[in-house]
Amino acid sequence: MTAPVPSPQPDRAPTDWKGAAMQKRIAARYSAERRFRTLGLTAIVMSAGFLAYLLISMLHDGLAGFTRTEIAMRIDFPTAPIVLDPASLRSANADAALASVNWQSLTDQAAQENLGKDSIWLAPSAWVAVRDAVKHDPSVLQKVATLNLPASAELDLAAKSDGSDEAEAAYARLDKTGLVHRAVNWSFLTASDGTDPTQVGIWGAFKGSLLTMTVTLLLSFPIGVLAALYLEEYAPRNRWTDMIEVSINNLAAVPSIIFGLLGLAVFLNTLHLPRSAALVGGLTLALMTMPVIVIAGRNAIKAVPPSIRDAALGIGASPVQVVFHHVLPLALPGIMTGTIIGMARALGETAPLLMIGMRAFIASPPGGITDPATVLPVQIFLWSDEVSKGFVEKTSAAIIVLLAFLLGMNSIAIYLRNKFERRW
Amino acid sequence: MNAVSIFTLILGLGLIAWLSARAKAMRLASASSEAGPAAHRRPLLHSLPGFHGWYAALWVVAPAMLFMAVWANVMPALVTDRVLHDPAAATLPLDPMSRGAILSEARNVAQGGAQVAFDPRANALVEPYRAAQRLYSLGGAIVALMLAFAGGAYAFTRVRPDFRARNKVERVVMGALLTASLIAIITTVGIVASLLWESLRFFSFVNPFDFLFGTKWSPQSAALGYGSDNAFGAVPLFWGTIFIGAIIAMVVAIPLGLMSAVYLTQYAKPRARAWLKPILEVLAGVPTVVYGYFAALTIAPNMRDFAVMLGIPNASSESALAAGLVMGVMIIPFVSSMADDSIASVPQAMRDGSLAMGATTSETIRQVLVPAALPGVVGGVLLAVSRAIGETMIVVMAAGLAANLTLNPFASVTTVTTQIVQLLTGDQEFDSPKTLAAFALGLVLFVVTLLLNIVALRVVKRYREAYE
Repeated sequence: MTAPVPSPQPDRAPTDWKGAAMQKRIAARYSAERRFRTLGLTAIVMSAGFLAYLLISMLHDGLAGFTRTEIAMRIDFPTAPIVLDPASLRSANADAALASVNWQSLTDQAAQENLGKDSIWLAPSAWVAVRDAVKHDPSVLQKVATLNLPASAELDLAAKSDGSDEAEAAYARLDKTGLVHRAVNWSFLTASDGTDPTQVGIWGAFKGSLLTMTVTLLLSFPIGVLAALYLEEYAPRNRWTDMIEVSINNLAAVPSIIFGLLGLAVFLNTLHLPRSAALVGGLTLALMTMPVIVIAGRNAIKAVPPSIRDAALGIGASPVQVVFHHVLPLALPGIMTGTIIGMARALGETAPLLMIGMRAFIASPPGGITDPATVLPVQIFLWSDEVSKGFVEKTSAAIIVLLAFLLGMNSIAIYLRNKFERRW
Repeated sequence: MNAVSIFTLILGLGLIAWLSARAKAMRLASASSEAGPAAHRRPLLHSLPGFHGWYAALWVVAPAMLFMAVWANVMPALVTDRVLHDPAAATLPLDPMSRGAILSEARNVAQGGAQVAFDPRANALVEPYRAAQRLYSLGGAIVALMLAFAGGAYAFTRVRPDFRARNKVERVVMGALLTASLIAIITTVGIVASLLWESLRFFSFVNPFDFLFGTKWSPQSAALGYGSDNAFGAVPLFWGTIFIGAIIAMVVAIPLGLMSAVYLTQYAKPRARAWLKPILEVLAGVPTVVYGYFAALTIAPNMRDFAVMLGIPNASSESALAAGLVMGVMIIPFVSSMADDSIASVPQAMRDGSLAMGATTSETIRQVLVPAALPGVVGGVLLAVSRAIGETMIVVMAAGLAANLTLNPFASVTTVTTQIVQLLTGDQEFDSPKTLAAFALGLVLFVVTLLLNIVALRVVKRYREAYE
């Protein structure tokens, strides 16, 4: 405190702030300031621009995936060489009756009659649409019906001006006859995986995702909440609880593929659970999601003020009653927010599920949690590997569905946070 | 009777026990209060009626469920044993392999997995199998229900005013809480044990030294029988991982993330910040498979064209640059939010002091805030690196499979995670060094990410202590 204050040097003139040199220096500093600020803005704009680029390119490619090109086809059922009694289609063994008909040759013949040599532009799976139309309305069997059948992937691309020259020429030719038109591809939302891009859909993968997420939620939510309650409310400070805390924090940072290796080694090779099943996928993702829920849960529980606990204890509640009657209900919105965010992450997760064999080709939706299944992100991965060009728009369309779901889940989380979050 | 119906039956019994024990406790309670405060001969109820209900329900459900779980594991062995004592089993071959095959075929038919067995000997065993299965599952169900009734009766007789039901129930609740938190330890132990165990098996085929320091990676040739010597040198993989995850991705993520954080905390108006920050966070929420698809389909071809335009030789459409760039974008929000936190925790006095001395905002940021926040930023970058090297889908879809040791960002390199996926998908022969190598790679990845995390948290923690 008593250090001698250095006296100003007598020979030094006061700084001339108005002088040209100083003005120049200040101008330089201000322009550096502006440059720096612009740099910061550029960084943000670049990041946001990348996001926009990604979303726009997905939308651009993907929206076409929700439509398909159809060819109107007159099929003369009464003269067609099929023996099928409409009455049998209303009876219990309709599926057996349907299976007895060679729909493929029927469709091929009709295509020959309608389109001549352009019949190659009908989708190879068009007969499925004929069969489904008959199944839906058996009365068409008695008349000459006009059905809208899906066109092949090449013609579909040509309709979207992205096909080969040959296909584009065929499309122009067919367009003149008025037989082709674009329609919403509802089967994209109701069908499962297939080999022909015109017939694939996401329902199978979506159902697999739902089953997997159900298993994940049922396991990770109760375990995560109970663990968070224990660690935050009851755990004594000792080596064991330190170990639990360290392992939870580490698990949250372990790469997801390691959980896949764990699932492979433990659930498949040691416990012999069914391969590719939603059960195993759900178990693996539950181990991954649980730490996220525990960490979010602890923060939410920590935010409940101690006065609430003291008041409850003061009127005679037991420690368990304090937690389950007062702390948990007050912390629940925060826990829910964390859970939804954790589930959204699990929904988009691909790598661990590849490890446990959920990348198999599965053409029908899973019936239960032990059936072979695939999930939406894995389906995207599988389609992205397909050579056929028709899969590009399907992949992007599936990505749009996935992103829409994630957006929905995150919006719910934000809504919950804003509506129920209390500042004490 | 199948497991699901017994399960629901026991739960139903539990509900009945809950209701009746609670009703009994309530009657006791009303009887004791009718007696009036003057007559203290009948003691008041120690626990609320609900706790008596839970106590009874637990006694009904827990022992029966425990028995069912044990029985489900024991029953197959008992069934097989009984089938083997059947006269139809007398003709079975003694060799355990073929005997096991016939038995499992018969089991499959008996459980409805197949219509008919190929082996006639198995077909002969189907009926005894069904009979044994019916017998034991019925027996198990009866014992489980008896246990449920016995437990319920025992608990019901204990409903008395002075019975401490609450303490008993709460002890069970505490046990459940403790068990739930132990799952985290079990998972960690499971990860370490499974990785270590399979890696040890791998290292019985391949010298760990060759694995960690070898420079030739060609597991396919090892699988084809050219010998596993020198086919599992993982250095090109490690280099590819570092090149993509720690170099290219960070070159993108650190400047963009840091500058975004600086702009958001120091320049942006609160309204703009409220909009921009969530937009940045969306980048972290996009699934990695979407990034991978985007990198492979949109970025990678552009990169190759760009490289061809520059005249760079052996430009690949699976370049390290495409994967690294997209990964860097994915990491931006991590770097940005860590930098945000650490800049925000620099004491306001330091910032005010610098501004009061006449420094401009940018000078304050560059010469005061960022140096003060540096440990936090470094910690965030380390966390981001650990995140990037463990990232799988982007590199699986956009990076190549060729194990090259190259500095050329336009060439194809492969990473640890890509190879794990590559080794474990496709034809599975679990005991080959090829599949076991995936676990050894997983172990390396686990250890490295763990170390990075520990170091990062240390750095951040030490720095926080300095200012508080």
